[in-house]
Amino acid sequence: MKKILGIFALLVAVCVVTVLFSDRFLTAYNLENVIRRTALFGIISIGVAFVIITGGIDLSIGSLICLVGCGLPWLLSVKGLPLPVALAAVLGASLLIGLAHGLLITKLRLQPFVVTLCGLLLYRGLARGLTGDQTQGFGAAHDGLRWLATGKLAVPGLGGFGVPMPCVILLFVAIAAAVFLNHTIYGRYLLALGRNEQAARYSGIDTSHMILLAYVICSGLAGLGGTLFVLDVNSAQPVDFGNFYELYAVAAAVLGGCSLRGGEGAILGVVIGAALMQVLRNMITLTGLPTHIEFAVIGAVILVGVSADEVVKRLAAKRRAAREAVVG
Amino acid sequence: MNRSLARIPALLLVLLFAFVGCKKSDSGAGATPAAKKPRIAYVCNGVADFWSIAKVGAEKAGSDLSANVSVHMPTEGISDQKRIVEDLITRGVDGIAISPIDPVNQTDLLNKVAKQTKLITHDSDAPASDRLLYIGVDNYAAGRLCGALVKEALPNGGSIMIFIGRLEQDNAKRRRQGVIDEVLGRPHNPTNYDVPGTVLKNDKYTILGTLTDQFDRVAGKAHVEDTLSKHPDIGCMVGLFGYNPPLILEALKQAGKLGKVQVVAFDEDAATLQSIKDGNVHGTVVQNPYMYGYKSVELLLALQKGDKTVIPASKFIDIPARQIRKDNVEAFWSDLKIKLGKRD
Repeated sequence: MKKILGIFALLVAVCVVTVLFSDRFLTAYNLENVIRRTALFGIISIGVAFVIITGGIDLSIGSLICLVGCGLPWLLSVKGLPLPVALAAVLGASLLIGLAHGLLITKLRLQPFVVTLCGLLLYRGLARGLTGDQTQGFGAAHDGLRWLATGKLAVPGLGGFGVPMPCVILLFVAIAAAVFLNHTIYGRYLLALGRNEQAARYSGIDTSHMILLAYVICSGLAGLGGTLFVLDVNSAQPVDFGNFYELYAVAAAVLGGCSLRGGEGAILGVVIGAALMQVLRNMITLTGLPTHIEFAVIGAVILVGVSADEVVKRLAAKRRAAREAVVG
Repeated sequence: MNRSLARIPALLLVLLFAFVGCKKSDSGAGATPAAKKPRIAYVCNGVADFWSIAKVGAEKAGSDLSANVSVHMPTEGISDQKRIVEDLITRGVDGIAISPIDPVNQTDLLNKVAKQTKLITHDSDAPASDRLLYIGVDNYAAGRLCGALVKEALPNGGSIMIFIGRLEQDNAKRRRQGVIDEVLGRPHNPTNYDVPGTVLKNDKYTILGTLTDQFDRVAGKAHVEDTLSKHPDIGCMVGLFGYNPPLILEALKQAGKLGKVQVVAFDEDAATLQSIKDGNVHGTVVQNPYMYGYKSVELLLALQKGDKTVIPASKFIDIPARQIRKDNVEAFWSDLKIKLGKRD
């Protein structure tokens, strides 16, 4: 809990600064937008958090989002498959891809970096090949399905504010993930094997199966994310859809308290990490900063924030140590 | 672990040989007649539907004039384009038409290519290089046409936001500048440049800014949404790269503001054309990518045969842009569909 306090404080600080510079930040419309984007990125970030907790990494998320994001409208609009079949196909493919990653990593003992880097190249290439590099979209069709990404649940008494559907989905995913990680034996296994896989194996944990599960969860959520992304935007170009999103996901997970060395992570922190990045991007447009320095601003704010968090933590630790020395 | 890793390169090598082998035997079957045809390469600046239309034009010219035309769309920006051009030179082609991504800094590369083969530019020019000629639209003039549409859409004035993929390209800069100069009623001067991020206004119109998304569509749509948050009373949104107007429409639809905010577009995305029909987009300015492709191949073939009379004194062959509004969208769209074959 302490770990996510810093990132939460940074999120609040960025929100306060944005409110000070723009009276539009707190409008219902803007908050809905920011929440929807946070939810979309939050879902893929929770997925990669599971892999990072095991000490692994998944670089293929952006390409998998591309494969699913282009694949779903392609199957529906070009191939004319019925909706349930197309949905089952893309989500099933995501899970199978996760399974393949897991098997290559646990059985063939390939490095996660290598496996998922090849995935990064492979899935985007596959998406481009299947679609002939053509932009994919739903046109005016499938508004019912698109409601999952674009719709909102009205909250009475809040001046037209509604909770965006992706946020509802994120809520389910996050609660399930948090319960799994913190309140089931399997979650504890994951954290344990992330700290020290050998020790975990010697104490009787089937580490291979747990790692396999982490990759399946990661790719499954990336597939869900990709579906929601394309439902929201209604246009996916195979060559750049989801480009670099794995880095957004990994960044959100690490900002939220996951250690790249494995064994640590909190779902709430990951969601806050995802929110931080989306609020920063929103702030840049709302305050009228030029968009071409967007990434510079995001990078600088996060770096300063994380450094400040670390300094504060160290000072606190020093003070505690000093106090204990006096007491002792 | 080491052993299994070591097997991967070997496996890849086998696959590669198999793949190349297949390719060879493919082209081997038709090689005899094809070998005599001149080889023309048409290099684009990225992957887009716009280039798919140009590809159809280039290939049509290839079959009309019996040339081997290859179309290349770089996927990873400027370094990828350089690699493609270098490989084409290595392979040996009789002419290259290229849309340079960064004309100023690619001059060296272009000059090297010009020494080896016939080189022309299309879509975006590199005036400082040794290219023989440039085929394309005058993007500044096209921008002004787009600006005129904005004024039609907002006859009583109002605020305007411009959305574009990136501003590094010469054509993007000029297109945007044309819109700004026309809306603000400035005299014709293609060398103007207003820094993005400054608010520009005259007594009637306010141009709030220019937002670039670097081709990330999720970010492009987010920019539209954020603009609606910041300027709920905005009068008109202008999308200057082909994919921008559909993103604007998507965001307006979700905000329930379709038809309430004017939209002016560029290029001929299906969603844009449909929305012109439906009355949600005032109009669009279209280039003629089909003719870029066709003319590029035609002129390179003439040049390859030694005919230098095709080069005009200005070294610029204008394929003018056109305004599409509700009254001519139907005719334009059906013609486009015919050119693209059955594709909708």
